Amino acid sequence: MSVLINIQDLKKEYKMGKIRVPALNGIDIEIFDGEFVGIMGPSGSGKSTLMHILGCLDTASSGKYSLSKQNVSNLRKNKLSAIRNKQIGFVFQTFNLLPHLNIQKNVELPLMYGGYSSRKRAKKAIKVLEEVGLGNRLRHKPSELSGGQRQRVAIARAIVNDPSIILADEPTGNLDTNSGNDILSIFSELNEQGHTVIMVTHDPVVAKKANRIIHIVDGLIKDGNNS
Amino acid sequence: MAITLNESLKIGFSDFWSRKIRSFVTVIGIILGTMSIIVVLSLMNGIKKKTLQWMMERGGLSKITVRRNWQYDNPTNAREYFTWKEIELIRSLIPDAKYFNPQLRHWIRFSYKDKDYRSSIWGVVPDFKYVEEWDAESGRFLSDFDIDQSNDVIVIGTKIQEELFGSENPLNKLITAHGRRLKVIGVMKHRYMKNDGAVGRDNALSYLNRRTFVPLSTMIKKGTGEDRITRLSIKAHDAKSAPALKEKLENIILNLRHGKPVFQIESAEEEAKEMAKNQKIFQTIFFIVSIVSLLVGGIVIANIMLASIQERTREIGIRITVGARRFDIFFQFLVQTILVTSIGGLFGIIFGLSILDIVSGYLGIDLIAGINVIVIALIVSAGVGFFSGIIPAIIASKLNPVEALRYE
Repeated sequence: MSVLINIQDLKKEYKMGKIRVPALNGIDIEIFDGEFVGIMGPSGSGKSTLMHILGCLDTASSGKYSLSKQNVSNLRKNKLSAIRNKQIGFVFQTFNLLPHLNIQKNVELPLMYGGYSSRKRAKKAIKVLEEVGLGNRLRHKPSELSGGQRQRVAIARAIVNDPSIILADEPTGNLDTNSGNDILSIFSELNEQGHTVIMVTHDPVVAKKANRIIHIVDGLIKDGNNS
Repeated sequence: MAITLNESLKIGFSDFWSRKIRSFVTVIGIILGTMSIIVVLSLMNGIKKKTLQWMMERGGLSKITVRRNWQYDNPTNAREYFTWKEIELIRSLIPDAKYFNPQLRHWIRFSYKDKDYRSSIWGVVPDFKYVEEWDAESGRFLSDFDIDQSNDVIVIGTKIQEELFGSENPLNKLITAHGRRLKVIGVMKHRYMKNDGAVGRDNALSYLNRRTFVPLSTMIKKGTGEDRITRLSIKAHDAKSAPALKEKLENIILNLRHGKPVFQIESAEEEAKEMAKNQKIFQTIFFIVSIVSLLVGGIVIANIMLASIQERTREIGIRITVGARRFDIFFQFLVQTILVTSIGGLFGIIFGLSILDIVSGYLGIDLIAGINVIVIALIVSAGVGFFSGIIPAIIASKLNPVEALRYE
């Protein structure tokens, strides 16, 4: 298995007025292609910050981050947009769907920024929505769906551009146990199909679905960096 | 990879539509501003066209007229008329004048059978019909032969025809003027121009229909018996050469009167320019007022867009997360603002055009909305969108995605 993510001595500080608040204090991680990794830690441990940096939504203060052997630490914002669009799929705790668009249009969103024609977009979006079991709800607005269904739409949106990594931030946090289990089994399936899944959670039961768990405490890795 | 104009327009339209009431309230200012631009520009067009029409009805822009200067009180008693000899001298000094019509006017009572009518009688030469661009409709106008022979002939306007003859054919009838019998050889073409703004006087040119014309020689020799020509109207080859000809004529006439400005020389071209200059002042004021009202509309829109961007912070965060570049966000919001103001502009144009008749009826002036008026209104409303949308769009494009996603 090849190395997909390589992080060396990654640090992140936030400035709050004149005070510097450290969030990550020098982190080294290697994640291989096809892994299902859980990132665990108490709130304030820095796991969300790490997730944002992994997802190229934020940049580190220092250290090196390579994604698919490309150093992305110092890329320009437009390049990072392209990486988010093509290589990363996000799934959030609060789903983050656009409420005024129907679910097909929501799933098409990454494809629109990817420059696909509207016909291709529709075709791909319908296909992934069928895969997550929502092929008969294409014209529904997110508000007309249950939480579990919404999260499936979010997963469809995350995988529609066929990214190398799926980043999930507490994907079951807003769901009841049954729906949460459904969602987790979708992630397992995706992982079996070859997708790399990185899931941030504070729930040990959820984390058990992962092949490997990385614990973060106070901006440092506690254990679990070796598979 | 880039979001296309098409996509931005689609997003803009669906946003506009999904928030109908707010969209409508947003664009009210633009609708009113564009309406006022349409009305103001149409009004300007109408006034401009009317002025030109007025000048054309009175002999066109190449016409130059000479008459007594009433602003000069003539302390040295310089002669206030031309003799026939002077007229001939002036004519020989301005060979570049295309047409040349010395004239003399009196007020007189005309009678035919038991009817009479008081009106003006003009001694003119055949060039009259070219200078004034006005000819006889039935019968004929005065000829060189009539001048040579000082014939007792007269051409009458339609109003005097109606007053003296009613439905009777006036041609070759004799009317009495000042004890002299004059044969009617022609009736002038009826003159009409819609009189805007004045109540009760529908025809702005009705005074012309009351006039009568006789040979200048007949008037001098048989009428008053005095060689006094009080007016002169000439025509340059075109409007462009009129001001130069006017200046030349002015110098000649000043020399004839030893520098005393007894006569006033006017060029229609210069008069038209002067009128246009005066109109321009009002036009500019009107236009600025309309633009200011549009700017106010634009500021309202900028404000609403800023609020809307704050409300949509999370949406912007989501779009950035799935791969939107900063430019995509900027473009989406800018296009949306321009779309909103353009839709407002479009409605403003439609409403503006539909109230033109009402405004026209109220002001008594024809309002003319050409395609140029519509294009200007559209460009201005879209421009307001551009300027009021650019700052909100920049703010939207600079949002930090991590913070935007956290926004509640």
